[in-house]
Amino acid sequence: MIWLTWRQFRFQATVTLTILAAATIYVMTTGLRMHHAYAADIAACPHPEIGCRFFLSFQGSYNAEERLLEMLVFAAPALIGIFWGAPLIAAELERGSHRMLWNQSVTPTRWLAVKLAILALAALLTAAVLSLLLTWWASPLDQRSNDRFAAMTFGTRGVTPLGYAAFAFALGTVLGLLIRRTLPAMAVTLAVFIALQIVFAAVLRPNLLPSTAATMPINATTMSQVGGIGTGPDPSGPVQIFRPGKADAWILSATNLENSSGHEISGNQVSTCLNNQSLDLTGIGDCLAPYNLHIDYTYQPADNYWPLQWLETGFYLALAALLGGACFWRIRRHRD
Amino acid sequence: MTAIVEAHALGKRFGARWALADCTLNIPPGHVVGLVGPNGAGKSTLLKLACGLLTPTSGSITVLGGRPGSGREQIAKVGYLAQDAPVEPALSIADHLRLGAHLNPRWDKALASARIASLGLDPKQKAGKLSGGQRAQLALTMATSKHPQVLILDEPVASLDPLARRDFLKLLMDTVAEHGTSVILSSHLISDLERVCDYLVVLAAAQVRLVGEVEELTAVHRWITCTRRDGDTLPAGVEVVSAKHTDRQSTFMVRSDTPMPPGDWVSEPVGLEDLVLTYMERGPASAGPVAPRNVESAR
Repeated sequence: MIWLTWRQFRFQATVTLTILAAATIYVMTTGLRMHHAYAADIAACPHPEIGCRFFLSFQGSYNAEERLLEMLVFAAPALIGIFWGAPLIAAELERGSHRMLWNQSVTPTRWLAVKLAILALAALLTAAVLSLLLTWWASPLDQRSNDRFAAMTFGTRGVTPLGYAAFAFALGTVLGLLIRRTLPAMAVTLAVFIALQIVFAAVLRPNLLPSTAATMPINATTMSQVGGIGTGPDPSGPVQIFRPGKADAWILSATNLENSSGHEISGNQVSTCLNNQSLDLTGIGDCLAPYNLHIDYTYQPADNYWPLQWLETGFYLALAALLGGACFWRIRRHRD
Repeated sequence: MTAIVEAHALGKRFGARWALADCTLNIPPGHVVGLVGPNGAGKSTLLKLACGLLTPTSGSITVLGGRPGSGREQIAKVGYLAQDAPVEPALSIADHLRLGAHLNPRWDKALASARIASLGLDPKQKAGKLSGGQRAQLALTMATSKHPQVLILDEPVASLDPLARRDFLKLLMDTVAEHGTSVILSSHLISDLERVCDYLVVLAAAQVRLVGEVEELTAVHRWITCTRRDGDTLPAGVEVVSAKHTDRQSTFMVRSDTPMPPGDWVSEPVGLEDLVLTYMERGPASAGPVAPRNVESAR
């Protein structure tokens, strides 16, 4: 049975291994170079926590590579669901060869168990290798950008890709079993997987753990730590702070600039501070301090990164197990 | 001895359509059973129920005393060849035999390779590249080499040319003679069945119309030709199966368990083909649940 699973899966396995090998070589060659450059930059920078000029160029020069690798890790679970999961049973049902295979003194349940076990393991391994490669490769960049909670970063580092891969594989299998045709099963798998990814990242992930609420007064100290300040296209509109609050925290929501009575102020009221080209952020903070302004915001503290990673992975793994169970239930009920 | 197939009020519904309804059967072992019926009569459904690919909607079915598909041992006892003779296109013939040897407890390696050799097939050839007839032969080899006690064949000769068809049926009879295998064989070609079957099940419109040993069935049915008259004027104990009238003449097919008494009629034996066709055309024999027409069995 293991042999047949391998034979039916040989093509996908070859493609997957080729991609993994290529990704490993690419990550190793570019990664080693980058890690060396980073170490040299750190050595040349007396206070890395304050920042050095070349860190900016360092980050910018690896943008394209980072996007490429993130796309690969992000797409891998979906591809596993489409090309491993969906055809797993559907291809046999479509060809009718299950009528021959399932009559070779092996119950369909046993067939399913063997195939699911082997390929689920392979899916987890594939995702683990890819995630490990990217997590290592991007560690200097992640350290500099302090933005581990960004959707593309959170979903392509650590353990989350494992959860996605297991889920996508189980989803593809169960849809193949229900729809009984490979191509539609592939399409529906992709649609459902993407939909859940979006819903999870946008709605569920921020609420997996209770968030913290805080108020940030606007002064020179606080402003020196934010990413930027400004109005929208309309200079008389409300004033926003970009990336406020604690370094490496995940900002979930933030109000516009408010005065001490809790009313939003407009850009016109503080235009002298905002439009003064000679001021840096600290200077703007100094300039704004007399207005007694503040923003309210909620965030997930940096310490919640790993709990959130494990919670999300656990959720996807549980869902995968549930779908796996549904496969067994289904194959027992209707076999032809 | 345990019956090959025992069914009680067996029914299978696909959506709103009954592919098989109220089917009660008890087929004794050691027979080559012909299952006949028009397209969509429920033949494939019955055979799939017997090998466990389908589960009944109502009623029950046992094959060799066990619930179909209930476990390894049950599957090992039943050989099944599906209608379209499915194989794994990506695997070679040798791969198929290797698969069979690994999975089946009583696989006959020698028989399998001898069969492939006698067909002149190259074991290294991919199953997907075989012709329809060759594929059927490979699928049949997969079904027979595991030494089943019952061999269930769904339209096995449909894709074979006349020569291959003859060889196939001969091979089948050899297997039966050698291993005492019981066979259930479906076809809509009565001439094929006439040669090999000694037991007959006629299905039409999802219902069983006629069951019995061929010899017995042909013995109790007669053609009666006489001057025009009503069927109920025939002697008591004679059941009219069909009646056809012209202006001056009546022709009946009758069933009588005792020899026909002599009378003012000509009595002739009934051929298997006439018998089957007549029972297929006839409506449901008993007042069972009304089966919908034109039920498509294959899914």
